[in-house]
Amino acid sequence: MPQIPLAAYLGLSSALFVIGAVGFLLRRNPITMLMAIELMWNAGNLAFAAFARNFADMSGQIFVFIVITVAAAEAAIALAIVVMVFRRRADVDVDDISVLRG
Amino acid sequence: MAPFIASLVPFILFAPLVGAATIALFGPYVHRRASAAVGSASVLLSFVIAAAFAIVVWHLPAAEQAAFTHSRFLGYWVHLPPDFVISFRLLVDPLSLLWILVITGVGFLIHLYSVGYMAADKNYRTFFAYMNIFVFAMLLLVMADNFLWLLVGWGGVGFASYILIGFYYDRNTAVLAARKALIMNVIGDVGIMVAIFLMYAHVGSLAYQTVFGQVDAIGTTALTWIGIWLFVGAVAKSAQLPLQTWLPDAMEGPTPVSALIHAATMVTAGVYLVARAHPIYDRAPVAAEIVAVVGGLTALFAATIGTVQYDIKRVLAYSTMSQIGYMIMAVGIGAYAAGAFHFLTHAFFKALLFMAAGVVIHNLAGEQDIRKMGGLAKRMPFAYWTFLVGTLALAGIAPFAGFFSKDAILDQALTLHHPWLYGAGTAAAFLTAFYMFRLLFLTFFTGAYRGEGEPHHDTPWTMSVPVALLAALSVAGGWIVLPGHDALSPALRASFADSLVIQDLSGFNWQVSIGTLILALAGIVLAYALYEVPSGAREWVRSQFGVMRAVLTNAYYFDAIYHVAFEVPTYALAGLLARVFDRDVIGALPRAFTALATWLGDVADRWETGYLRRYGLSIVVGVALLLVFYVVLTRGALWGAP
Repeated sequence: MPQIPLAAYLGLSSALFVIGAVGFLLRRNPITMLMAIELMWNAGNLAFAAFARNFADMSGQIFVFIVITVAAAEAAIALAIVVMVFRRRADVDVDDISVLRG
Repeated sequence: MAPFIASLVPFILFAPLVGAATIALFGPYVHRRASAAVGSASVLLSFVIAAAFAIVVWHLPAAEQAAFTHSRFLGYWVHLPPDFVISFRLLVDPLSLLWILVITGVGFLIHLYSVGYMAADKNYRTFFAYMNIFVFAMLLLVMADNFLWLLVGWGGVGFASYILIGFYYDRNTAVLAARKALIMNVIGDVGIMVAIFLMYAHVGSLAYQTVFGQVDAIGTTALTWIGIWLFVGAVAKSAQLPLQTWLPDAMEGPTPVSALIHAATMVTAGVYLVARAHPIYDRAPVAAEIVAVVGGLTALFAATIGTVQYDIKRVLAYSTMSQIGYMIMAVGIGAYAAGAFHFLTHAFFKALLFMAAGVVIHNLAGEQDIRKMGGLAKRMPFAYWTFLVGTLALAGIAPFAGFFSKDAILDQALTLHHPWLYGAGTAAAFLTAFYMFRLLFLTFFTGAYRGEGEPHHDTPWTMSVPVALLAALSVAGGWIVLPGHDALSPALRASFADSLVIQDLSGFNWQVSIGTLILALAGIVLAYALYEVPSGAREWVRSQFGVMRAVLTNAYYFDAIYHVAFEVPTYALAGLLARVFDRDVIGALPRAFTALATWLGDVADRWETGYLRRYGLSIVVGVALLLVFYVVLTRGALWGAP
């Protein structure tokens, strides 16, 4: 089986990350933004896993598990906030939720 | 020296302080009379210990007594050997013992008097706490063993004087008088401070023993300056020319305060200081001459003002100033024992006069103007007879106390070749007899009572007993020095053994005594002729000496001169600084800081929009910049890449 070069993984990872970042910056629906963030998490995960395989070092893979755990927790909290906001305002647009500005 | 009584010495000093603290801490929870009892009892305790100590010293063998001095080490203030060591020692020698006895003895009687006099006052407890603080500070002043502790006591009595003059703080005049006294006294404190600097520069120590032991090693010029600067302190504290104007105003304080602080004790601190520093003045004739001349001038100056005042307490204040002038003159010419003697008798009869006047004021509901009195001899016989005793003692009529002490000073002035000072003192003696009998006649005789309300009669025993005791002392207090028999100067010998002037009061100059006695009687006759014989003489004198009268009534315009010379420029400068310097220089700095902080806040505020995308963009841009920094600029060098 031909080896997929490291550069290909990193290229895919970069592409995923940029898509996620741009999505986060351009979209105003919090659900979509959350999905964009998940995309960036997973871009990072892919890079970790690729490096781990390349250098035959398991610590990168272990790190991926930790990231997945943290991402799940983050998603739970963020979704809870979104649900609470939605209950109060019926419409969810992050630009409208700027009242906590100091 | 009996060790037991010596071990009690610290109690003399600290009993009044503990009394003040007790009143301050527990006074509000107990009956108001309890505060008065604590205040009086603590001073009485000091007096009893000091008296026991004095009796023990008195019974020592003559040789031991002549060298007696007790110094009690309590601790160090500064301990940086070998150069800088300031200990805290209590010094009890005959000179300080004399002052301690008067401070605590007369102080106790005045405390007792205050129990009745201040009975109706709303700040009754505070009064006794303040009085105890004063007694403590004054004892510290005379028991100090070095000049620094003396200065602490010196400042302490100035502060106590300030809070007690301003005791009726809801009266504007009292507050102003207190401020005036404080400012003038601080001028004196600075004088002593300069003297201390000079002493330290020349001797390297501030302890009496060390400084006085090395006086011969200090040049005469330096000694003269030390003497002059010390005397600046004495001038301010003892209300001598030209820092005398605070004393008459200090009469705004309650009458017991005037009796204790501004007659019997605090104002004589200057006399104590010069007598204590006699090794310096003995070797600095110029400084001593200044002391003597200032004293003599003040004695005469204050006596002339006393002849035209109408406030009973102000007359007594000027007479105090004049009598302290005598004492300062005495210690200036080197007659330290005579000065101390006059201090002793003056404490008796001046406290008596103030307290007898206090009885009058008390029963007239605060009236102090003698034009509104008159004919009180029949209405207040007790006040009259005691006041008469005090007046005779002050006027120097034999055999009352003032006769012996005043003549001792005048006699010494002649013996030590100061004819001009003798002349000034004698003239002042004439004026003293005149103004005191003028005061007596206007208050107790001169027709009928001229006041509005009927005098009431309430003189509790707490007031009458101290007055009666002091009256007895004013009669007999001078008898410790009788012609040919001088008990005082041998007792003081241990303090003045090193004096270059021989301290002996047993010699009695009959010409001097009879001369002053005749002049005093002439003063009394003149007062009688002017105020008791109904004739046109009083009006004629007034019309002839109109200008002089105006000058005297305004106390030689010292207040007006000081107002123009110091107050006006000071207020002008202060106003200018407040308007310009304070606003545009001092104020500009904090304003600049607040402007900077506000600007920074505004800048930071613009970043905090509340838009999530904006924050995200910031993060992305930040990360991009960091990447550029690490990858492009440092070429990965920070990662340790090859």
